[in-house]
Amino acid sequence: MSATYVSGTQEETRAGGVILVIASSMAAVLLIAGLAYALGTGQRHMAALAAAGCELSLSPSGLPCTTVQMLQSEYTEILTPDGTQLAADRAAYGANEEKNLAAAEAVLTAEVTTERAFDIGLAGITFPPAITPIAKALFMADQARASLTAQQAQSSSLTQMRSFDHRVQAASVAVQTQLTLLNKALDRG
Amino acid sequence: MARSPLGRFADERLTADSYYPRPYSRQDAYPPDDYPDDLVPEQRPAVAYQPKQRPAKSRVDEWMEVDFKFGGSRIKRKAVALVLLGAPALAPLFFMLPALVTLNSNTFSVSVDDTLGTGAEICLFLCLLVTPVATLSGQHWFVPLRRWYGIMMACCAIGDAVAASITDTFAGGVFGRLAGHVFELMGFMMVMLVIPLLITSNPWAQRKLGRYWKRLHRLIYVIWGLLAAHLMLLEGLGVQSGSNGSGFAGDGDPVFHQRFYQYSACSLFLLTLRLPPVKRWIAARQKEGRNWLVYLTIAPIFALFVFGFIFILNEELFKGFDSLTEHPSAE
Repeated sequence: MSATYVSGTQEETRAGGVILVIASSMAAVLLIAGLAYALGTGQRHMAALAAAGCELSLSPSGLPCTTVQMLQSEYTEILTPDGTQLAADRAAYGANEEKNLAAAEAVLTAEVTTERAFDIGLAGITFPPAITPIAKALFMADQARASLTAQQAQSSSLTQMRSFDHRVQAASVAVQTQLTLLNKALDRG
Repeated sequence: MARSPLGRFADERLTADSYYPRPYSRQDAYPPDDYPDDLVPEQRPAVAYQPKQRPAKSRVDEWMEVDFKFGGSRIKRKAVALVLLGAPALAPLFFMLPALVTLNSNTFSVSVDDTLGTGAEICLFLCLLVTPVATLSGQHWFVPLRRWYGIMMACCAIGDAVAASITDTFAGGVFGRLAGHVFELMGFMMVMLVIPLLITSNPWAQRKLGRYWKRLHRLIYVIWGLLAAHLMLLEGLGVQSGSNGSGFAGDGDPVFHQRFYQYSACSLFLLTLRLPPVKRWIAARQKEGRNWLVYLTIAPIFALFVFGFIFILNEELFKGFDSLTEHPSAE
């Protein structure tokens, strides 16, 4: 009986050994494969940066870089709501500029707030060196338009208010030009 | 000579030695042949009481028990070592503290799942690591860390769920944010299971629950399994960017950043060393004094564990420092 018991125990410990050897062999193969894979990390890192359009200057090795997609995402986050709000403000101004001074002034004041919010958001994005001058130009153009709109909002009559229209329109064209350039640089079409 | 009810003889004194208990066994009360065998309850051989054997203390255990003088009081070396090893488990909650103090919903919505979720995973693995290491090393001074890491795992998981229920962008209200997707449902179930474990993780509950305490706390293995499902559903099994993979891996190592792979690499060691045949094999080799063979055999799976664990730690530290500075990364 004791011989059977001993034999059973040996059998059981042998099973444990087999399991352990299989698991360890599997782990060893995975480790070797992992280390072999890790040898190509540098090349894959460069390829990943290139594929994602990363700016190398913004991406210390081993850390995620600022990709074009990330910039696009950040930029779209501020552009979309502000653009929608600005379009609504423009439509409201068009409806009031001929008949209601107070309403038109309120709309223009709201427009100034939206433009300045866009500028603050734009200044918060870290653009790569190649795109920074365009973003700066857009910022300046939008600041100029916001100042002009603020002056327009302080008009004492509807006639005086409408006299700003051409200048504001010219400022808007300048903003639009910089926007197009920035969209192009960010590959937003 | 007159018999006395107190003794055989009137002058005889009763002493403790004079008391012979009557045999209480029914078999002894009747002649053996007169008693039907099938009515005799099977008697187990009398086993002498043996106190539960405690594992012998290793030299390191003994060294850890020694106390030293510190600021007028005596502290055990073990206490210092436990504090030093246990303190890092607070890191995930510490990383989220600035966002909590400033109520920064952006940091919470972007990186709480990475910081606290990964923190919970790390604490779970550390909790599960205690038993295999005790088996292998024969040391037990660090066993109290199992409870501590378990508690911190529960805190991180609950914190993650609470933050997700408030700040996630999924539709369907609080429940939608907690269980609106299958991977979230798995996480939610883990949190639901971890709550009773957290509540009963104290000596009082352990005493009250008795033998049921251990059974209840085996739920940790269910949580371990659910974590596999959670991670598998979160990132899929592939390594591509997007919904099936580890997302954008700017360092060119998408395989190493795949959470399910990291989980598998760590779990192989923890699972293998919990299998009864493996434990028996290790015990047999240790009894033979062939510890070197044990260490040699487990070296590859332990190395794989370390390999996977390093990448989980990397994730935690990277996301954690982002959360700490309130500049969360959505990578």
